[in-house]
Amino acid sequence: MIASRPQFRPIPQLTGFLWALALICLTSCDRCQDPGCVGADCNPEATPYLLEIPPFFPPMDIPADNLLTVEGVHLGHLLFWEKSLSEDGSISCGSCHLPEHGFSDPSPYSTGITGAQGIRNAMAIINIGWASSYFWDGRAATLEEQILEPVAHPDEMALPWPQAVARLQANSEAPGYPQLFLEAFGTTTITAELTSKAIAQFLRTLISADSKFDQWRRGETSLSDDEFAGYEIFLREGGDPETTPGGQFGGDCFHCHGEAGLQFSDYLFRNNGLDGSFGADAGRAGVTGMPLDSGRFKTPTLRNITLTAPYMHDGRFITLEEVLDHYNSGGVPSTTIDPFMKYTTGGLALNPVQKTQLLAFLETLTDTSFIAASQFQDPH
Amino acid sequence: MNCKSSKRKNTPLHAVTWVAFTFLLIQGCTQVWWWSNESIPGTLRFDAQLEWNAESTVLGDVTIDHLGHSIRLDNVQMYISEMELRSESGDWAPIGDVALIDFSVLNPRILAPVPAGVYDAVRFGMGLPPEINSDMDPASYANDHPLSVAGSAGMFWTWSSGYVFVKYEGKFAGEAGDPLLEPLSYHCGTDSSYRTVTLEFAEPVYIQSRQLTVYELVFDAAKALVGETDSIDVVTDPVTHNGSGTTLGGRLMNLMDDAWTLRQ
Ligand code: HEC
Ligand code: HEC
Repeated sequence: MIASRPQFRPIPQLTGFLWALALICLTSCDRCQDPGCVGADCNPEATPYLLEIPPFFPPMDIPADNLLTVEGVHLGHLLFWEKSLSEDGSISCGSCHLPEHGFSDPSPYSTGITGAQGIRNAMAIINIGWASSYFWDGRAATLEEQILEPVAHPDEMALPWPQAVARLQANSEAPGYPQLFLEAFGTTTITAELTSKAIAQFLRTLISADSKFDQWRRGETSLSDDEFAGYEIFLREGGDPETTPGGQFGGDCFHCHGEAGLQFSDYLFRNNGLDGSFGADAGRAGVTGMPLDSGRFKTPTLRNITLTAPYMHDGRFITLEEVLDHYNSGGVPSTTIDPFMKYTTGGLALNPVQKTQLLAFLETLTDTSFIAASQFQDPH
Repeated sequence: MNCKSSKRKNTPLHAVTWVAFTFLLIQGCTQVWWWSNESIPGTLRFDAQLEWNAESTVLGDVTIDHLGHSIRLDNVQMYISEMELRSESGDWAPIGDVALIDFSVLNPRILAPVPAGVYDAVRFGMGLPPEINSDMDPASYANDHPLSVAGSAGMFWTWSSGYVFVKYEGKFAGEAGDPLLEPLSYHCGTDSSYRTVTLEFAEPVYIQSRQLTVYELVFDAAKALVGETDSIDVVTDPVTHNGSGTTLGGRLMNLMDDAWTLRQ
């Protein structure tokens, strides 16, 4: 029935033409010798940073005009922890994105320099190089764009970019930012864009791939019976088959926190049934204006989930037990609640033993070497 | 050095090489020069359209099904694979391997380079053939590929069962007038639910070199629930997350086989 599938065939005449083109390109294009350096802002002398993609992970798409260099990542590391990027010099990115909490904030709402609080929990920054949009509502399409926001945001670092740039530019003593920008980008003229590019380079190196689960996946260790049972619950369809069509007494978690590419997120926007109405925070609908997006938020990764409490976009749950109780209840019905949530059929019906097993599995996603890595800590 | 190299220049072997090279070059050039229009492909674009009972619809619209239930579709996604065109001689020419149609995206479409010629039908698989379905690692594809982790947009199921072929999701009301709160969640997949759709063009299509030809590929979502030999009641069958054999998923795939039309 199913014919074997030939791929697109090259046109033979094209081959000669392409060879000629390649020759012309080779002889005339000096960029060809320098693939690490595209666009105006690059230092051809900078050392390419060799990013290791962990086993089972997909490739990371890095913008061609901001390829990673050792100098760029180093600069980004310093800037991520640079308190002078906040108006009163009291906080840096690292103040709300703490390594020991999986680069998130242990308080439900982060406090900016004015003492003002936003309405959302600071997101964990883990394997962010694989995300396809940024913030709970996905309003930033690139990491470079995302980073411009917290510095100037009045509830966060509250420093207008021209002032931030002037401060970095005037820094003649250690660390000596103009010189570091020269080494990373080939210019001593600092701009907001270059600052965000450097931080983005650093954030792309925040890779967590050495949890017990990863080690098990690589065949280096085994899971305990409870952990493995929890993994199976994670992957099974939810609900009692008597009441829920297709139910397999599972947790249904994989549908949204999918294990494809070992990301534990589908990076899509979903309403997991926290609220019946969305006056407090419309989530994705605030960006798209579409009623269908009301109450939808970006599915977060579950990596290092034991470290990133409190949970959900508003940090409403303090413990993972509360999170599991929420899913077990089926969630609050609403016009946009995801059909995966078992809100009409009495929830997942996980018993206490199954909940303990699911928790045991979630704990295997903790990667202590990631949070302790010296190259991520405050260098100042 | 100079002496050596000039000596080498004059060897008969060298002359032969030069003649051969010049011949190949001229040959290559004339091939490029005489590159006839016929060998440059044209482009065929299928714009995917969502309809409900032959009326244009978008996700989020509230519609009425064949049994009078109110239904709101929130998500319709499907893999289209092994697309082929039938030429006048009756041969099928492959034009694309796999695409993901996602009706939540603005203007979902399939673009394919097609050799210039005359065609009278198109056929494609709904879902994925086994060789690219199960036991595949989505992480092995570039991120813009429809089967990659990011490109599959939630359509990857698990390592063993492969990808979801079709997602048809939304909400319905059991009684007319009730709020739309009941979940409708059809995920069809597994190798045995792969179906081939064949559609004839109303008139033969002339694909010309370098020219863009556009057709609408219309999916009538109402037909997923009712057809000539089968019908599905969303109240008794609101959920399926598989597709093998005669199960609900398999029935849905059979019904959806007849839900497609072509329009210019
Ligand atoms: C005052 C606390 C605070 C500071 C300081 C702060 N952030 Fe955040 N960060 C947050 C909050 C809160 C969110 C979620 C906001 C939202 O979704 O609207 C967030 C979201 C993010 C995200 C999105 C993650 C994702 O998965 O989409 C990134 C990346 C990020 N911050 C990086 C930074 C960087 C880089 C800096 C320094 C320039 C910084 N943050 C400074 C609180 C903070
Ligand atoms: C319908 C899709 C969906 C399903 C199914 C689902 N989740 Fe979630 N999960 C989400 C979304 C979306 C969020 C963020 C919601 C928000 O903050 O508004 C989330 C948040 C979480 C969080 C908090 C993460 C953080 O960083 O704050 C945890 C923990 C979690 N889910 C675990 C699970 C477990 C365990 C299961 C299975 C029992 C599960 N989820 C099933 C979509 C889902």
